[in-house]
Amino acid sequence: MNKLKEIYEYRLMIYSLVKRDLRGKYKGSVLGFMWTFVNPLLQLLVYNMVFSIIMKAGVDKFYLYLFVGLIPWLFFSAAITGGSTCIIAQKDLIKKIRFPREIIPISFVTSQFVNMLLSFIVVIIVSVVSGVRPTIGGLLCLPIIMLVEYLMALGIALISSSLTVYFRDLEHILAIVAMAWLYATPICYPVEMVPEKYLSLYNLNPVTPIVNAYRDVLYWGRTPDLRTLIIAVCIGLVTVVLGIIIFGRLQRRFAEEL
Amino acid sequence: MEDNVAIRVSNLTKKFKVYYDKGRSLKEVILFRNRNKHEVRTVLNDVSFDIKKGEAVGLIGHNGCGKSTLLKLISGILYPDGGSVDIKGRVSSLLELGAGFHPDMSGRENIYINASIFGLTREEIEARLQTIIDFSELAGFIDNPVRTYSSGMYMRLAFSVAINVDAEVLLIDEILAVGDANFQAKCFSKLQEIKEKGTTIVIVSHSLSQIENICDRSIWINDGVIRADGTPLAVHSEYLEFMNEQRKAAGGKDLDIPPEYVAYMQERRYKENLKLSMIPEQQAAVEANGGQYRWGSGEVKITSITASGPDGVGKRLFEVGTDVYFKVHYHVEKPIKDAVFGIGFFRNSGENLYGTNTRIDGKPNFDIDEDGEFTIIMRKIPLMPDQYTVSFSIEYGDGVPVDYWKDALKIDTYRQTPDVGGFFMEHDWEYEVKGQDNG
Repeated sequence: MNKLKEIYEYRLMIYSLVKRDLRGKYKGSVLGFMWTFVNPLLQLLVYNMVFSIIMKAGVDKFYLYLFVGLIPWLFFSAAITGGSTCIIAQKDLIKKIRFPREIIPISFVTSQFVNMLLSFIVVIIVSVVSGVRPTIGGLLCLPIIMLVEYLMALGIALISSSLTVYFRDLEHILAIVAMAWLYATPICYPVEMVPEKYLSLYNLNPVTPIVNAYRDVLYWGRTPDLRTLIIAVCIGLVTVVLGIIIFGRLQRRFAEEL
Repeated sequence: MEDNVAIRVSNLTKKFKVYYDKGRSLKEVILFRNRNKHEVRTVLNDVSFDIKKGEAVGLIGHNGCGKSTLLKLISGILYPDGGSVDIKGRVSSLLELGAGFHPDMSGRENIYINASIFGLTREEIEARLQTIIDFSELAGFIDNPVRTYSSGMYMRLAFSVAINVDAEVLLIDEILAVGDANFQAKCFSKLQEIKEKGTTIVIVSHSLSQIENICDRSIWINDGVIRADGTPLAVHSEYLEFMNEQRKAAGGKDLDIPPEYVAYMQERRYKENLKLSMIPEQQAAVEANGGQYRWGSGEVKITSITASGPDGVGKRLFEVGTDVYFKVHYHVEKPIKDAVFGIGFFRNSGENLYGTNTRIDGKPNFDIDEDGEFTIIMRKIPLMPDQYTVSFSIEYGDGVPVDYWKDALKIDTYRQTPDVGGFFMEHDWEYEVKGQDNG
């Protein structure tokens, strides 16, 4: 509890670091901040070419199906892979200044999250233009779904960033894990394509309900199942609590190990 | 913890693993298990002390003695293996200047980032913003990107933020060498100001004189334990003594004293004397009267003595071979006739090195009717680097002392060349080098 209070006192630091990250990211490039919107659109184009021309998945409006799942996934995957190195990247700060170190993964994940929110502007526009009529209940659920995903991503980033300080291979291992995770989640294909006998194993993936909930709102135009959402909120909270506990233990020797 | 204690360090122990050849990757860990040999080094061993509110404390010691580790433990960057550190109030650590600066952002934006890392809220930063900008002297550049700054400007901005955090406890690690001499002086007086406001300050520095200027207390850390704790002058002389012994033991040479050490010692003695000379004159005189070092019939009294170079600016430290001016003021209680002025030089051990007076020098004796002064100029003083006591006297022509002040003044001498002995002797060399082609 003390920890949370301390982090709250440093809220301006989170804000500053997020702002610095977002402002600094596209500095010097011609499109500048527009890349936040252009990048997901171009990714969508590539995936769409592959999956609707070469490997047909047999889903109506596949580009939208893909897009709605891909944007949240890109955020999640950045939080896993980039999150693992965010502490190492800020080692000068950690070795020289005292502040709650949780700030670093929090600001990293938050800045990725803000990126996702901006991309969602594009997602919603594409979705409406494609003829999807989201329900009011669905739209109200959207912030909850995002929050759940944020919490999960934060929990994982807290754990991976602190472990990577002691075990540098984790950075590379997590890059592979993120790739495998993408294919273990119904993003590029519908769940129906998964063979029945693996389905129970497949459903253990905590990201699947999140992706499904996004699709409910922005692809199917319906309100997501509340029961699933509540379970997802619980999973998200557990991940963060676990992350904070593990991070709190491991951060004690950061300054020595870096 | 009592109210007047700002920092309590109790039984603090810190150990570091020192790896001979650390493998961090999976392959290295599995394949070269035995390579991961390490020794555990105890950097701090059961250290305890209290620092009172408003105290300014210097941590000294040779490289690797644990003083920086101690500072990091106090600041909370490192965690102890045993014992604890308790601090009251907000801590600001000036261990790293310009933390989080982004080169593409303006000076103003970077103030926000940097100050937020010190834990300030937006309102707190806004309240300090003008002070920070004014202090950095960068008003004209504050909205330019930091990458366009010179390194001096960069450091000035960074220091201005750090020094204006207004913490109750300020921790500083070797960073007072910021910017040009002017800005340094400004930082220094700002530190004094902060200290006067009652901020507790802990400084790690190699510059003992810096610590003496700011701190009221020095803690000498040696091999992870406190070796001495007391006033800077007392602790530092012990420390220097020790370091000198170490050097001698290591080099086996008596004269292996680095010049900065000599210079420091001289500066320090000079300061000690300044402190002595700051005792009010009246008090000094009374003390001397009561003791055994001043005597005489008392019709005329020496009231003050100023030592200076030709420029007349009072000082106590002189280079060997330069002229020293002593100006002596006296006060007349009762006029005297047939008087003689005298001067004498003594080693601190008491050995008389030189003495003379106006009678010996064949000057006529004179009558003293009212308050006045006399000046004696010692040309090209030959006294080699050390501290000397100078005595002054007013006597009757027959040698009866009116005011004989034996330990009136102490002066120090220094020399830039390493020749040795008690006195400088003027000399020349004449020789021809044979068998060498000088063409």
